[in-house]
Amino acid sequence: MSQVFNRRKIKFNQKNKQQQDDKLNSNPLYPNLDQNLEVLHSLYKDCSDVVFRSFVIADQTKAQLIYIKGMSNIEEVDSNVLTPLMQKADQNSINPKVLIEQRLSVAEVTRIESFDACIDQLSIGNPILLLEGDQQGFALGLSKWEKRAVEEPTGELVVRGPREGFIESAEVNTSLLRRKIKSPQLKMKTLKVGRYTQTTIMITYIEDLSDETLIEEISQRIKRIDIDGILESGYIEELIQDNSYSPFPQVLVTERPDTAVSNLLEGRVVIIVDGTPFVLVAPTTFYSLFQSGEDYYHHFMIATATRWLRFLFLFISLLLPSLYIAIITYHQEMVPTTLLLTMADSREAVPFPALVEALIMEITFEGLREAGLRLPKQVGAAVSIVGALVIGQAAVDAGLVSDHMVMVVALTGIASFTIPRYNIAIPFRMLRFPIMLLAGTFGLVGIMMGLLAILTHMSTLRSFGVPYLSPMAPMKGRDMKDTLMRAPLWKLNTRPHLTGEYNKYRQDSDQKPSPDKGSEGE
Amino acid sequence: MIEKGKISALQMGIMMYHAIIATGILFIPSTVYEAAKQDIWISPIWACPLGLLSVYIAYKLHKLYPNHTIIQYSEHILGTFLGKVLGLVLLLLLYTSVSVMIWQYGEFVVSEFLPHTPKFVIIGMMVLLCAFAVHGGLEVIGRLAEMVVPVFFLLFLIIIILLLPDIEIKRMLPVMENGMMPSVKGSVALYTWFAQFGIIYFFLPFLTNREKGMKSGMFSVLVVTLTLMFTNIIVILVFGSVTENFNAPLMSATRYISIAEFLSHLEALVMAIWLAGTFIKICVFYYAVVLGTAQWLNLSNYRSLVLPVGFLIGVFAMQAFLNSAEAAEHFRLVSQGLMDTLVYGTMIPMFLFFVAYIRKLRIFKQRGERER
Repeated sequence: MSQVFNRRKIKFNQKNKQQQDDKLNSNPLYPNLDQNLEVLHSLYKDCSDVVFRSFVIADQTKAQLIYIKGMSNIEEVDSNVLTPLMQKADQNSINPKVLIEQRLSVAEVTRIESFDACIDQLSIGNPILLLEGDQQGFALGLSKWEKRAVEEPTGELVVRGPREGFIESAEVNTSLLRRKIKSPQLKMKTLKVGRYTQTTIMITYIEDLSDETLIEEISQRIKRIDIDGILESGYIEELIQDNSYSPFPQVLVTERPDTAVSNLLEGRVVIIVDGTPFVLVAPTTFYSLFQSGEDYYHHFMIATATRWLRFLFLFISLLLPSLYIAIITYHQEMVPTTLLLTMADSREAVPFPALVEALIMEITFEGLREAGLRLPKQVGAAVSIVGALVIGQAAVDAGLVSDHMVMVVALTGIASFTIPRYNIAIPFRMLRFPIMLLAGTFGLVGIMMGLLAILTHMSTLRSFGVPYLSPMAPMKGRDMKDTLMRAPLWKLNTRPHLTGEYNKYRQDSDQKPSPDKGSEGE
Repeated sequence: MIEKGKISALQMGIMMYHAIIATGILFIPSTVYEAAKQDIWISPIWACPLGLLSVYIAYKLHKLYPNHTIIQYSEHILGTFLGKVLGLVLLLLLYTSVSVMIWQYGEFVVSEFLPHTPKFVIIGMMVLLCAFAVHGGLEVIGRLAEMVVPVFFLLFLIIIILLLPDIEIKRMLPVMENGMMPSVKGSVALYTWFAQFGIIYFFLPFLTNREKGMKSGMFSVLVVTLTLMFTNIIVILVFGSVTENFNAPLMSATRYISIAEFLSHLEALVMAIWLAGTFIKICVFYYAVVLGTAQWLNLSNYRSLVLPVGFLIGVFAMQAFLNSAEAAEHFRLVSQGLMDTLVYGTMIPMFLFFVAYIRKLRIFKQRGERER
């Protein structure tokens, strides 16, 4: 029966839809139940979690129920499938199909005609019912497996905003989206990726808001993936992004349905991967990675100020150690005299040049952070005590670093936590080190060179055709009102411009609230 | 076409703005001061028409050959051989021009910031960085220019505001003490900068909105003029008659800023502005050289030329002048009117335009005669 499996494998490589349809019906079920069982037994050989239960429908027809342990709702199978079907028939000869229609109290029943469909249905937890003398089987929608409840996402906390987050089940995730977007124009295309895992991937978009070529491009890129397994959306991200050698994320990752929905409403495409609470949003730009969903729930002035704060701290997290090094090493005249005196005083005991001092401290801090992330919770307290010693007064007293360096490292650490998305904070944490080296060798000139190199790299990036730095470069005045600032909602009349000019206006203009406007009817 | 990317007219304008102002903002005041004295702020007004003229001619030529750069249409206008020769002359002028720019950059960084660092490291770093951007293509340079310009204006504004306590109006007076002539004479030195606007003949074919090309170019000239006027005014108000003694007066002026004993020694700010601007400037010219060379050699792709050309201009820049005395002599001659930029920025295009115009007239005439 390896033939069946091989043909399944070939199927995944088929790009052509026509061929795929042919293949779906290529391994049809036999009319004979024993023959069918033989095939399925050999397919699920040594699979102790697959249960085959044979019984007789109404004392007349032989039938077989197949399900996978732990993935189907056994109580419902007992009460709604086995019990009614095993009852004696009123009449003597009865068509088992009719009986099923009359007695089976299960909401979702699909007819299946091939072994491929059998395997697909079993894998998602639906029990299969095969009848003697019938070339079609029944897939019963009684899947039920252990999943986490919808909880507040731990990675993206908000002060104000919905507290629900995506979970590991793609079905639940789509339902979270559907609960927010009631329009039938919310479309979901399902693809299966992964030779063995057969992971469900859903491309979600709103019809008429997303560019069709964009959707086509994204599905093409996903279909091109041929890999053993997809365990997390990171696999998809890495395999579909435009520039693989860039440290910058070119896809937005979120755990929050409200963020996903707001991106859908801006014409972007959300990619849901089964088995992970992290969904992907494409295309994305550099600036949208700095936006939090909360920006739109607070007053626009506060949101704008918060955004500026984030950009400020972005620069601090990238540049502060380098600036410290450059100024201490090359441009001491920039420091006010009184401060310079205390700095010189505290650096007197330190045997290293500023660059080495900064590298030691920054690497220690990164190590501490990594340790804090991975350690079991019980040991966490110990790490924080040790951490406080390592980057604290003890380090200064030991004569390893100066007071000011501790300040710099602590501030840099805090700064990198103000960036709302973890994945955009990482490249800046990483790029800090080469810039520190540049600062140590060339001073401020080196820092500027490093910055320009980063900027040049970012200018070359595109995310699914959208320039990474847009709407700043190339400049799109219309979109600037939701980039560095967050304009009031009644000003955000147009959708962000992505690739095509698609459905430009998202709301009625002139919605500024004012008591003069009075009520409608007047 | 050899360049697949497209830039907007606005991006081109901003690129040109950086290309002119980056060095201008530092070196123009003292260069002009020699002739114009306290009227240096008027000189940009007299030089501005040359910039407008350069843009106008480049645009007119672009109208005749909308999909070609000057290297290509010079062959159309003058015939293959003469066209190639003219293209070579133009490219050589550009090569030397960009090399001198890089030399200036290296010299400035070494003398002002990093006296102990070898010059080839400074120059090599900049050339590599520019090569990275040029390899990205015109789009990347356009975007970089756009990203840098708000920072530029912000820092420029901050510096001007912080210099306000140090100004004294009477240093600017009397305006036009000896009539208009000193400021007009001073403006001659500015032609070097304004003639560089001609280089837009390399960018006009790649605009998304070509009809705005001229408008944006002209606008760029005017903004450059205004920026230079502001710079010169502030420099003359701060320094008065000692302006001449500084190589880069604006930079030196920021050294005087001292507010609340905390905001002092802000020349790093000027350096940041200037470095970013110089980067764009070198990128713009570097790109022009690379594109021009590729088109002159009829290559289908210019990217393979980026590094070799970068190496060339790096070495040229190292060897540009034997010593600073020679450089000073060179810049003195340039400020007196012996300028390469004027040749490739204005004169060659003007010559091409006239030839094209005369040939066109003849063609019309012949056609008219035939019809008769």
